[in-house]
Amino acid sequence: MEQFKIISFEVNGEPIEVEVRPHETLLETLRNRLELTGAKEGCGLGACGSCTVLVNGVPTRSCIVLTAEVEGSKITTIEGLAEGERLDPLQESFMEKGAVQCGFCTPGMILTAKALLDRNPRPTKEEIITTLSSNVCRCTGYKKILEAVEAASSQ
Amino acid sequence: MILRKFEYLRPASIKEALELYDKFEGGAVYLSGGTDLVPRMKLGLERPSAVIDIKQIAPLKRVEDQGEWVKIGSLVPLFDLRQEGWVVDNFPALKASLDATSCETLQMRGTIGGNLLQNSRCLFYNQSVFWRKSKGFCFKMGGDKCNAVPGAKRCFANYCSDNATSLSTLTCELELSGPDGARRIALDELYSGKPGKPFKVRAGEILTAIFVKKENTQGGYEKLRLRGSIDYPLLGLAFSLKDGKGTLAVGAVGAKPRAVELTEFKKDSVKEAVDTLLKDLTPVNNTVVEASYRKQMVPVMAERLIKKTVEGA
Repeated sequence: MEQFKIISFEVNGEPIEVEVRPHETLLETLRNRLELTGAKEGCGLGACGSCTVLVNGVPTRSCIVLTAEVEGSKITTIEGLAEGERLDPLQESFMEKGAVQCGFCTPGMILTAKALLDRNPRPTKEEIITTLSSNVCRCTGYKKILEAVEAASSQ
Repeated sequence: MILRKFEYLRPASIKEALELYDKFEGGAVYLSGGTDLVPRMKLGLERPSAVIDIKQIAPLKRVEDQGEWVKIGSLVPLFDLRQEGWVVDNFPALKASLDATSCETLQMRGTIGGNLLQNSRCLFYNQSVFWRKSKGFCFKMGGDKCNAVPGAKRCFANYCSDNATSLSTLTCELELSGPDGARRIALDELYSGKPGKPFKVRAGEILTAIFVKKENTQGGYEKLRLRGSIDYPLLGLAFSLKDGKGTLAVGAVGAKPRAVELTEFKKDSVKEAVDTLLKDLTPVNNTVVEASYRKQMVPVMAERLIKKTVEGA
């Protein structure tokens, strides 16, 4: 019989206790058990960044992290960025600048940028490029994404 | 892409980790950042019965000044190591290779120990089971042929750690803890020289620390890559210079980085050093670019790197 483990962690400010299989990834738990489908599975191998969530504020590829590994951690997904009806400045900026094409990479892009602005509120354009090169956009719409992050950082 | 079943264990000490490893009779693997291991498990290249997560072992996360040496815990994330004083001020080749490793997000998750112990790679090997089945299994998968070089009698997979190449130009030793106690070896003793099974790590051993001798060096690292981020090196060259003596290393071709020493840095001397290195290198068509291109780039990048370092020294 398959063994389950009870894992406790915080998701978007809510304490969660969830029964998971030992070989279950954080992405699977978020999407399939907690119905948080903002994080997307792109490559499934930790390369593309579309599954990025914040684990204790650190951008993390959730497709290559086991849920069991995040016991006791604080997870932020794209669903947890807005405060009530008020969107995060980065989300506003992405809308304002039209930085979304198909939208598949957007949650990962925004969370990667969020972690950058949290540790460095006024990054240079070079720093934004270096950070966002962690994520792949196959619509190749990087220009507007960079503009959106630049605009959000100057607010 | 889903993972196959395994048990997950989270020891709090090295002793406990070794005991757990023993319990699974060779079926367990150690997990640190997982940026190499988890994709390998997803592709069915590793099929462990247990995953022992060593991230709770706090002493492995420290950087310590130990007189003659800097001791770097094997679990220090690459991103943190990039900002360590000793690395920034004294080991520019290592600093540059850390900067060039993958991308920021994976540097935050990936550890220096895991980076050194990443398995060797090949365009025909790091693929799904479905993909690999279509060609038939190669030497590295336990088969009896090489899918990159038809007719070859051996494996040509590339060891792609950027940081192993730069550490080869510094004085570097490793500490491993295993069932028979701890041992300390020179970095070069880690390698078997065989791409199929690149490391001489004994069963159950954990890489616990990387020691780098405290020397003031100049240097750098040049990486041949297509995308500029996330990707593995198609070729990596590192150079460190100390008291007029230089060490040039080349990595991402074959089973381990190769290093050569040089004391003259004019064009002819660099060419001689590169020729010595090239004798041991057999790049083949097992990456996304032609082998001949990778080979031709060795002297180009070596000359550029050495010129930049010597002029800046």
